[in-house]
Amino acid sequence: MNISELSAFDIVKHVAAGDVTAVDVAQHYLNAIEADDRRYRSYLCVTRDQALASAEDIDRRRAAGKTLGPLAGLPVAIKDGLCTQGVATTAASKMLESFVPPYNATVVQKLADADAVMLGKTNLDEFAMGSSTENSAFEPTKNPWNTDHVPGGSSGGSAACVAGRLAPVSIGSDTGGSIRQPASFCGITGLKPTYGRVSRFGLIAFASSLDQIGPMSVSARDTALTMSVISGHDDRDSTSARQPVPDFCAELEKPLAGLKIGLCREHLDAELPADVQGAINEAIKVFKSLGATTTDIHLPHSPYGIAAYYVIASSEASSNLARYDGVRYTMRAEAETLEQMYGRTRTEGFGPEVRRRIMLGTYALSSGYYDAYYIQASKVRRLIKDEYESALNSVDVILGPTCPSTAFRFGENTKDPLAMYLADIFTVTSNLAGNPGISIPCGLGDDGLPIGLQLQGRPFDEATLLRMAHQFQQQTDWHLRRPQS
Amino acid sequence: MSPSTQISAADRQQVTDADVTTVIGLEVHVQLQTQSKLFCGCSTAFGGEPNTQTCPVCTGMPGSLPVLNEHALKLAIKTGLALNCDIARHTKWDRKNYFYPDLPKGYQISQFDQPICGAGYLDISDADGAFAPKRVHLERAHLEEDAGKSMHDESNRGGKSKIDLNRTGTPLLEIVTKPDMSSPAEAKAFLTSLKMILTYIEVSDCNMQEGSLRCDGNINLHINVGGETVATPIVEVKNLNSFRAAERALQYEVARQLDEWKETGQSIKDAPKRTFGWDDNAQCTIAQREKEESADYRYFPDPDLIAAVTSDEEIEAIRKEIGTLPSDLRDQLVQQYQLKPYDADVMVNQGRGLVEFFLAVAAACNNNKLASNWISQEVLRHLNETNSNIADYPVTADSLGQLLTKVADGSLEQTRAKDVLATMVEHKLAVDAATKKLGIRAVDSSELDDLCTQLLGANPKVIDEVKGGKAKAVGALIGQARKLNPNVNPNAVREKLLEMIAAM
Amino acid sequence: MSDPVDLNTVEHVARLARLELTAEQAAESARHLASILKYVDQLSELQIANDVEPFFGATEMINAIRPDVVCESTARETILDNAPDSDGEFYRVPPVFK
Repeated sequence: MNISELSAFDIVKHVAAGDVTAVDVAQHYLNAIEADDRRYRSYLCVTRDQALASAEDIDRRRAAGKTLGPLAGLPVAIKDGLCTQGVATTAASKMLESFVPPYNATVVQKLADADAVMLGKTNLDEFAMGSSTENSAFEPTKNPWNTDHVPGGSSGGSAACVAGRLAPVSIGSDTGGSIRQPASFCGITGLKPTYGRVSRFGLIAFASSLDQIGPMSVSARDTALTMSVISGHDDRDSTSARQPVPDFCAELEKPLAGLKIGLCREHLDAELPADVQGAINEAIKVFKSLGATTTDIHLPHSPYGIAAYYVIASSEASSNLARYDGVRYTMRAEAETLEQMYGRTRTEGFGPEVRRRIMLGTYALSSGYYDAYYIQASKVRRLIKDEYESALNSVDVILGPTCPSTAFRFGENTKDPLAMYLADIFTVTSNLAGNPGISIPCGLGDDGLPIGLQLQGRPFDEATLLRMAHQFQQQTDWHLRRPQS
Repeated sequence: MSPSTQISAADRQQVTDADVTTVIGLEVHVQLQTQSKLFCGCSTAFGGEPNTQTCPVCTGMPGSLPVLNEHALKLAIKTGLALNCDIARHTKWDRKNYFYPDLPKGYQISQFDQPICGAGYLDISDADGAFAPKRVHLERAHLEEDAGKSMHDESNRGGKSKIDLNRTGTPLLEIVTKPDMSSPAEAKAFLTSLKMILTYIEVSDCNMQEGSLRCDGNINLHINVGGETVATPIVEVKNLNSFRAAERALQYEVARQLDEWKETGQSIKDAPKRTFGWDDNAQCTIAQREKEESADYRYFPDPDLIAAVTSDEEIEAIRKEIGTLPSDLRDQLVQQYQLKPYDADVMVNQGRGLVEFFLAVAAACNNNKLASNWISQEVLRHLNETNSNIADYPVTADSLGQLLTKVADGSLEQTRAKDVLATMVEHKLAVDAATKKLGIRAVDSSELDDLCTQLLGANPKVIDEVKGGKAKAVGALIGQARKLNPNVNPNAVREKLLEMIAAM
Repeated sequence: MSDPVDLNTVEHVARLARLELTAEQAAESARHLASILKYVDQLSELQIANDVEPFFGATEMINAIRPDVVCESTARETILDNAPDSDGEFYRVPPVFK
């Protein structure tokens, strides 16, 4: 059995049936990581011993006839912004280089309880601030499609390891596009669930009102499988929703006939490269052939999304990152007085982009500017949320490109932070509104790099997004294309 | 040039105390009596080993999230209701951002623009009439989490500071008054009255030694100079660790501000608010080191928490739990139980437990006056001597009631009854057992007849004196009667003797 | 509408955020702040009706509460294990004043 050809769905099925052992599956991926991750640098740490031990335990329990969890034997990679008990969790920051959490993030615990096998922790932009992993304090991750190009970010490690087949499933987090944009750049499927659908407990916060954890994998079906395990209310997260969790896998095959797709003119009429435009148009045809109809919709305030997003996200971040002060679990710079210690620790411990955002956020919340920036941005956020609501009254989903381009080259956007911010232009609005969004591969650009299609839906209607993505993937094979190694 | 500097030094020297009005507002932090912290399950118990009552949430570890303790919210609402505050049906949480090593997240979760309790008031008065009764208005009361404790090296040799986070996250209610108090005595009365209410409604133990009640005062003077009023710069006085300290510190500050103004002429328009600390040993206020930059707390809504919404029904249910407040109880004792205002005060000031004890004793013996006298003398003396409170008193209200019933109907004489009570307290006995232990028994009429006959036979002089109109003379025989039989009732002996003499 | 970002502003903001910037970092920060604020100023050009309430969170749910029950705290050595400086009982930090 060629394990690298198996989907997550297949792995779980075969481990349960005894066709393959959890140890074989784990060993396969550990070997692949060892062989290929030197080129991609998608993992910051590989938990080899822990992975093999839990795989052995699963095999032992299976042999003893015990009931196994719904993801038994499925290897997963975890973004290093999620806390893992006893395993260093750095958020790709020098600040947390030696932080070992005494607890698991709820999502990590749910995966462990479902008998998934953690392979390791994946790279990201420091504290999830960035769109390329170039802001990782340790090393950038390379796009497996072309290692001169970025994998996107901030969940670049989680996207690259799936694209490079170094994990069948990974977990990312998305504050302004950090799951969907790297999924698009790396040609994989990535879902940002509705805000509140997945517990944030244990996710190192960037911007609490925007952050959401989600799965990344090759296909919509594997994404649905993972979603059904990580979703649901958590008493430890006050913002976690008390919404019933549907059986995402069972919904996948429901026909698309009669489904109404909104084409967001603000996204599609933007100056898109011809290859991206063409791929999106082809995808629309596929959905029409499946019985869906399309209609134009407008999100008139969406062009203001990036501006509102940067004010709000940076404001929250400036406060969320105040706890990294050299006292309890961070690095500490040598100093004679408390104030020197604060200043030096925070300047040395944070990278330049993190410092930039702390400065912007502190400024936006400070006396005299709060109303003009934070409040004004939050009012624009209300307008955007209301526009989503009204658009999704008339259509079931909103379709468009995930990103305005394919993966850019290293260094291409590092000189101009604003240009980098604009990589999230199509994704930030659903974070502002709280709605779910999914990115799926829908073509290859002129540069041979993947193009992503984004579907955005109603709050808590991930099922429709997954169903559409799945049926699109039954008609096309973009998601099965692999980088030429 | 600000107007205040136009008042000449000579004019300033003419000002007397009569020209000065003191203006005081208070900020009181009350620790609410919950078992667990405001946003996590760690214990709020006082006095634990350092850093043994913490978890990822209250140490602000990455990824940890707060969840509201429902009981803390309820206690805050209860307090607000007892202080006549508007209760917010919809309240939210804000972050107050500042750096300090005992503030783990780099922000304090507090309430900025939607406090749980809005405007309210508390009426204060003084039993001795030191000031006229007045209403102190409350601006607001909001819930927030406490910080931890920093212990700095006191040697000034630049040693490291130590941080204990046990207290971090303990629920506090910050009560802010309007500047309605016009003397340190009023401020003290406010604090005393507030503390009594808080302990009556059982929202806080108000233990100042343990920091359960902390107070800061804002004070300045309005000085009348030739018909114009000049206000001195506002000073915030911190570290008022007891009511006595609060009163003294404010008194000190009144004098200090007047002296300072006479010297400098600086008014509120010339100087920003300053912070002084009360030094209890030196008995003076000391200016605290000014921070380099003015505080900018950058309040904004905490995105990790959602609004708390309370329905009218829930609020009414909490209101029902409040019970009668001290001022109403005092009125009740005076009007319904005919106690003297002073006696009622003594009783109410001891707390709800004692008042309830009184009500039970009064009901059991059907004699309010007797119950009040015995409690304010015998019972309180015992509590003071043993430094205990009524919950620990070994005699139940029912037992004391039974004892007082005997006193009331004359079957047990006062002095003997006190002996019985002492025995009941000492040996934890019921009335009958204690009576028996003391050998006290009823004296029947033939026994009394015999005793009186014997006494009159031995003291013919007394008979003559009584017949001569000096009824008091029997008194000498009552003492003798008690020596012969300690159980006799002196009144009964007196009556019997007079009856026998009259019949002679 | 944004004020030009001068170095005094940068210094003030850095001080609030407890960042100790070198002259070079401060200059870079001033440039970046100016450019992002210029971009963000498009928000203030929007005419927004007075009745539009700011939206602060992607959820407008209410009442997430926990009962007042004490849970076991984390062991002190576990908590202090991550600290850059502790004496086994307390966290230790440099003094406020030298």
